[in-house]
Amino acid sequence: MSGWTLRLRQLPALRLDLRGVLPSTLGTLAAPEVERIGIGHGNRLLPLAEWFNVSARSDDSLVFEGDLTRCDRVGWQMDGGRLIVDGAAGDYTGACMTGGEITVWGDAGALAACEMAGGTLTIEGHVGEFAASTLPGSIDGMRGGSLVVRGHAGARLGDRMRRGTVVVFGDVGDFVASRLVAGTIAIGGRPGAHGGYAMRRGSVVFAGSAPAPQPTFVPAIADAPVFWQLLARDLARHGGPFSSLPARRIDRHLGDLAADGKGEWIVVR
Amino acid sequence: MSSNGVVNRNGVAVDDTFAEAFPMKATRLLITAHTVEWARHAAAAATGFATSVIGCGCEAGIEGELPEERTPDGRPGLAVLLFAMSGKELAKQIERRVGQCVLTCPTTAVFSGIDVRPSSTDDGGRPPEGAPPGLGRPGAGQGEAVALGKNLRFFGDGWQISKVIGGVRYWRVPVMDGEFVAQETTAVVKGVGGGNLLLLARDTDSALAVASAAVAAMKRLPNVIMPFPGGVVRSGSKVGSKYASLSASTNDAFCPGLHGLVDSELTADTRCVLEIVIDGLSEADVSAAMRAGLQAGIEFGAARGLLRISAGNYGGKLGPFHFHLHKLLPGTST
Repeated sequence: MSGWTLRLRQLPALRLDLRGVLPSTLGTLAAPEVERIGIGHGNRLLPLAEWFNVSARSDDSLVFEGDLTRCDRVGWQMDGGRLIVDGAAGDYTGACMTGGEITVWGDAGALAACEMAGGTLTIEGHVGEFAASTLPGSIDGMRGGSLVVRGHAGARLGDRMRRGTVVVFGDVGDFVASRLVAGTIAIGGRPGAHGGYAMRRGSVVFAGSAPAPQPTFVPAIADAPVFWQLLARDLARHGGPFSSLPARRIDRHLGDLAADGKGEWIVVR
Repeated sequence: MSSNGVVNRNGVAVDDTFAEAFPMKATRLLITAHTVEWARHAAAAATGFATSVIGCGCEAGIEGELPEERTPDGRPGLAVLLFAMSGKELAKQIERRVGQCVLTCPTTAVFSGIDVRPSSTDDGGRPPEGAPPGLGRPGAGQGEAVALGKNLRFFGDGWQISKVIGGVRYWRVPVMDGEFVAQETTAVVKGVGGGNLLLLARDTDSALAVASAAVAAMKRLPNVIMPFPGGVVRSGSKVGSKYASLSASTNDAFCPGLHGLVDSELTADTRCVLEIVIDGLSEADVSAAMRAGLQAGIEFGAARGLLRISAGNYGGKLGPFHFHLHKLLPGTST
């Protein structure tokens, strides 16, 4: 396996589709082969070298450099290895990934980590709408792995999410955890409106601002100290607003009673 | 001193013989509770009636107490070890014992004490990440997963909730004091059962005293249990019986009441014999426990009534693990 640095020379006129440009795919190729990989530009496939300067690395990482805000599907269906975007990334970043590690040092667009099933996606900046949710038309959203966002997240974070963990250090938009099937979403900042709309199961941890409970949620009268310690200790390793969770007490609200009603809001005191 | 193959230490004769042990399947469970007393209630119940696989299905015991900082949920707890002759029987015993004795006990939770992840690298034998320190080796490699809370969850009647935290699945089952949390699976690893020491003493008082001292020394070690009451068994057995329906019967050669009547192993001044049986997660663990027991017995000495230390074997036909007493004597290396 060998690593590559792909430096974007200029912003493309149309959006680029980078599906298939993965550490495991490029790791076995020679430089000319890497340069000939076809990437989508509008409705055409063009050689990767049309847009990127290719250089070998001493490690086995795949590193994108430049402003990739017009580059979609970075790490699409990635199944292993390490991918780094040294800047911003476009839509569908880390979507459908099943393993490996992606780090985006800037912001990411919409639908990041949608239908993600494994691995870790870390976005050091902000992320757009529908992160960790479904591809349009699908039933289940994120179903495994971890999405960590150091900045803010847009609306509909975790829509139809089924499994996995989402950690957002900053604020989240409206309808966080809407139609959540299961999994864990932890929020360090302020939530938007209508959180937990129609959530069936799963846990939403509000480590920052405490939202007003929705009318379709009921307060939990029983403590869950064992579960909370297991979860809080796992979240604490992310640091920031989550580092003190194991020592803090919680209130829980159960719902959404308009759906299955087995979900819970965990409001940290 | 040595004569006729017998080594004499502090007046105690140590036979030139070996304990014979056999492979078993084992697991470790961590039981936590609101207070250590309730964890102890659950652990004692779950490991009760588990002295011998002959009649109990498994052999089990409390390995040790765990303070809050060494448990997965930050509460006090205990580690218990369970051993059975097959993985299938062990799985059955785990489900029954946890279901009836841990799920039922107020405030308890139960976790696997051995990593259930497949061993793909060279970390076989290493405790799981985040595991309480000091638990020692889980056995030879990491184990095959068997159900822990996986089936008990159905007690929740549909209100049970699954939660994957840090890659580990737990079940939250609503119960009348809140919820019962159980890790979905635990791991079955290879273990070693049947390590033993025979303590031949002058009388009952000295036999009980030296046995208690030896068990106390062994209990300070990880990865082993002594499954009999107080760690001690008085009904040592031999293989077979005059009765066809029995597979084992009293070890008549070590019964002082039969001295003069059978081909006895005892001298006339040996009036009480007690045995300590040891199950461990590895041959090295059983060996270390037997060494500690030998040391305790020798320190006890002949002056206080311990005359001889021997061990039970079946001529090497029962199991592949042979623990030679002379190799375990203090000052020798295995």
